[in-house]
Amino acid sequence: MNELPMSHHKHNDPLPETVLRVKALESLLVEKGLVDPAALDALIDTYETKVGPRNGARVVARAWADPAYRERLLSDASAAIAELGFSGRQGEDMVVLENTPQVHNMVVCTLCSCYPWPVLGLPPVWYKSAPYRARAVAEPRAVLEEFGCSLPEDVEVRVWDSTAEVRYLVLPMRPRGTDALNQAQLAELVTRDSMIGTALPRSP
Amino acid sequence: MPVLKADNVAAVLRKGASARLADPLPARFAVGQTVHALNINPPTHTRIPRYVRGRRGVVHSDHGVFTFADAHARGETVPERLYSVRFSSEELWGPQGSPGGSVYVDLFESYLASAT
Repeated sequence: MNELPMSHHKHNDPLPETVLRVKALESLLVEKGLVDPAALDALIDTYETKVGPRNGARVVARAWADPAYRERLLSDASAAIAELGFSGRQGEDMVVLENTPQVHNMVVCTLCSCYPWPVLGLPPVWYKSAPYRARAVAEPRAVLEEFGCSLPEDVEVRVWDSTAEVRYLVLPMRPRGTDALNQAQLAELVTRDSMIGTALPRSP
Repeated sequence: MPVLKADNVAAVLRKGASARLADPLPARFAVGQTVHALNINPPTHTRIPRYVRGRRGVVHSDHGVFTFADAHARGETVPERLYSVRFSSEELWGPQGSPGGSVYVDLFESYLASAT
């Protein structure tokens, strides 16, 4: 009999086979000298503690507060993002999509999990899941509703499938009632999902 | 390939590895032009999603020239132009599509043919 309580077998848990295979591969690669375990730790530390959606939130807050920066961000996103010190792997060729009262943008990678690492970090599990990838392009409004994002009927929904080398960041609309906030306070309103386009930013 | 050492991680991540190439290839398609995504089914790696194959779209923007992903998967560097192509939701999903909605897909030039 299996002695583990059922709660250890949640549907979203990775398959034990997958975990075992990853462990086996890792120890083999380390043993053969192809992977440096210290480098692996440094990579994990980078995306756990240094690079994440707070970077993107700073970009968005700056764009809300500084019209000249917003212009640069929309015309050459990679360069404008690099101005704030964010660049590199999986953010080499960036495009920023601006939400307006008429247009809502939402990003997916139907083929795998392409995602703008320097500004958002590594993708959440749901972004990589087959249901999100399949449904985002086919029924984006239904997906948005499930994220709690209800848009007026007359808003045009544009879905961006990052199938190649370009990585996309959504510039959400600045919430109302934020005129008195500084950039640091504005950045607090910018959530990861609002920069993927599956949510709206927080209200103050 | 050299083994990545912990000391180099930050520099390697910061530097990145853009797939953009400087080759001045002419553009076969213009922004605003109507195109067809080809109905192709390569047995090897490709970056054309099945749901656009055989569908008609409009070139939204020209991203420039990049390493063609399908060739790169074979270890070759082949420069090719990359476009963002807009497909209406109804073109992709028929009556189940959402009126006014659209999907923008990044497609390499050899995935496309002129539709006019």
